Amino acid sequence: MNFETTDAPKQTVYIVEDDSSVSEALSNLIESAGLSTQLYSSAEEFLEVWSAEMAGCVVLDVRLPGMSGIELQAELAEVKSVMPIIIMTAHGDIPMVRKALKAGAVEFLTKPFQDEELLLAIEHAFALNLTERSNRDLLKSILLRYSSLTPRERQVMELIASGLTNVEVAAMLGLRVVTVKVHRGQLMEKMQADSFAELVRMAERLKAS
Amino acid sequence: MVDDASAGEADLSWLHMSQDPNLIAQWIFRSVARPLAIAWFFVLLALIWTFPLQHVIAYPFVFLFFGAIMCSAWFGGFTSGAMAVVMSSIVVTFFFVPPLYSMTIGRGFQSYMVAFVVCAIAITAVSSARKRSETTVKAARDQLEIRVKERTAELERSNSEIREREHQLRLLTEAIPQQIWRADAAGCVEYCNGNLVAHVGTDTNSLRGEALFSFIHHEDAALFRHTWRAARAAGEKFEVQARVRAANGSYRWFLIRGNPQLAPGGEVACWYGVHIDVEELRQAQQELVLAQDDLSRFSRTFSMAEMAASIAHELNQPLTALMTHAHASRRWLSAEPANLERAVATSEKIVRDCTRASEVVRRIRSLFSKTDYVREPTGLNALIRDLARLLRDEALRHDVSIKLRLSEDIPSLALDRVQIQQVLLNLAMNGMEAMSKITGERELEISSEMPTPNGVVVTVRDHGVGLAQQVRSKMFEPFFSTKLGGTGMGLAICRSIIEAHDGRIWADDLDSGTAFHFSLGLGNQ
Repeated sequence: MNFETTDAPKQTVYIVEDDSSVSEALSNLIESAGLSTQLYSSAEEFLEVWSAEMAGCVVLDVRLPGMSGIELQAELAEVKSVMPIIIMTAHGDIPMVRKALKAGAVEFLTKPFQDEELLLAIEHAFALNLTERSNRDLLKSILLRYSSLTPRERQVMELIASGLTNVEVAAMLGLRVVTVKVHRGQLMEKMQADSFAELVRMAERLKAS
Repeated sequence: MVDDASAGEADLSWLHMSQDPNLIAQWIFRSVARPLAIAWFFVLLALIWTFPLQHVIAYPFVFLFFGAIMCSAWFGGFTSGAMAVVMSSIVVTFFFVPPLYSMTIGRGFQSYMVAFVVCAIAITAVSSARKRSETTVKAARDQLEIRVKERTAELERSNSEIREREHQLRLLTEAIPQQIWRADAAGCVEYCNGNLVAHVGTDTNSLRGEALFSFIHHEDAALFRHTWRAARAAGEKFEVQARVRAANGSYRWFLIRGNPQLAPGGEVACWYGVHIDVEELRQAQQELVLAQDDLSRFSRTFSMAEMAASIAHELNQPLTALMTHAHASRRWLSAEPANLERAVATSEKIVRDCTRASEVVRRIRSLFSKTDYVREPTGLNALIRDLARLLRDEALRHDVSIKLRLSEDIPSLALDRVQIQQVLLNLAMNGMEAMSKITGERELEISSEMPTPNGVVVTVRDHGVGLAQQVRSKMFEPFFSTKLGGTGMGLAICRSIIEAHDGRIWADDLDSGTAFHFSLGLGNQ
């Protein structure tokens, strides 16, 4: 399996499991696949070190001392973590599975499990995390560029992105067509859009956020 | 004025009072001096008037003396009359009968005198009798008047007593911390005491008639109305539990009790009702039921299912670690190039976790080892009876009747009371569940007997669906279950408990249902 990632930071598997022999074994297995791990023995311990910059995924035991795995999952959603979560349990009862999956867990594993099950889940989770994070970074840079536009340029961008022609925009804003063309050229440059289609995509992303 | 009756009384009392000079003087005055004075007065009056009148009216004129005698007898009584007769006779003989001014009676006047005396005596008798009867009537009338007065006073007194008593009673009904009402024979409420009025939060007038009963919870209203109607029809007391709305809109449970008050003719005169707050009582009852539920669930579920789950979890953790390490080890070895260092380290961890797993297994085994038992001499039949009592509610829920057939010659056995009860509970619950789908009679029979002198056998027999062949061969094995969500540990634990008691557990398939038997040895009692 290939988990090569192009960007830093490096993706890590964060394991939250109170039984040290189990977490040690998980770490051993995941390392044998060439991935790095971090071990935490309780949900509280993990929340203390959590940051939005963390990349990778979380492998969680349901039964934990103090805050349970399901509660930690809710807590992470609360702080807008984009790391996918893989849930493990010794007794996989249906309501708990449903609850965890509904809350966005990518996989639910019943102990003991096969190595492929876990590693495939991690691979899937990493890919998901990568997309999520690149989306997030892209949006961040678009926002940065968008903030450099003047109010008039923002107005023009919104209107042309919605499919109006230069003439229509000029009529609507009470400007001359030439002026609109100038604004358009400037905002394309500021937004670093190579084509009109790309500008439209950027506008859509901004709207979605 | 003195009447003869009181004079008679004085005569009778004279004997007793003879010692007292004052009383004797009184007696002399009443019985002698006064009649004498009266007689003298009238006779003298007659004499004075007769002197002038004798010249006008025919000679000898004596009629005024009859008047004197009559008046004496009237005012002075018979004694006075008699005295007037004697005096008149003397005066008439002396002054008016020839020869005049002498006490001799002339010839030819003797018969006249005799007639005079006889008439005089008759007048005395008639007049005094008349007077006496009039006095008696008057006395009777006086007495009657006194009686009437007394009676009136008495009536007034008792009237005010009744009023006072009624007031006290009213105070009492208001003071006692109960809710009371009174209804007429037709069931219309006429009176509600303060507590009741305060509880429902309205005024007495708006509770009259049927209005009071509109405060009963709609779910209980039908039952109440039915009971109340039936009680009125039969004229018998009734009792019903219902929720009654309070002023704040909340409902509390009340025991509503009604008693008819019978009129002397035997028909119902009115109804008295009392509302007793049983909210707390009912809550306590419900808690008791819940506690009983919990108890049976605890003894059944906790001991069996929880233990199985906790064993499963205990074993699952090291198993997970082992399997994961094994997978990792394979991956380290199959890598290009093979990472032998990590593979060896992983193998060591596998050995360590294996030790841990076997530790868990050893601990579970020790839970069921013989040495842990507490053995006490126990009456097996008493234990079975206790259990049947515990199972009563469960049996009601399953619509099962529990029958005990216990042999009386079972000796006291050395056994772990809790564990044997656990076995019985488990077998009984299985039996009841086996009968939950049958339509025939649901009877669970628990029997004890002593077929040989060195062992007892307890049998739990149901009329349920029976056992399938593949079930029979495996049912005492751990983790074998036919029930959805069953742990498969129940009968396995039963077997280990019975074997620890040097006994044996087995099952017989019957025509209808199954009989589970277990034997207990007498060897180590």
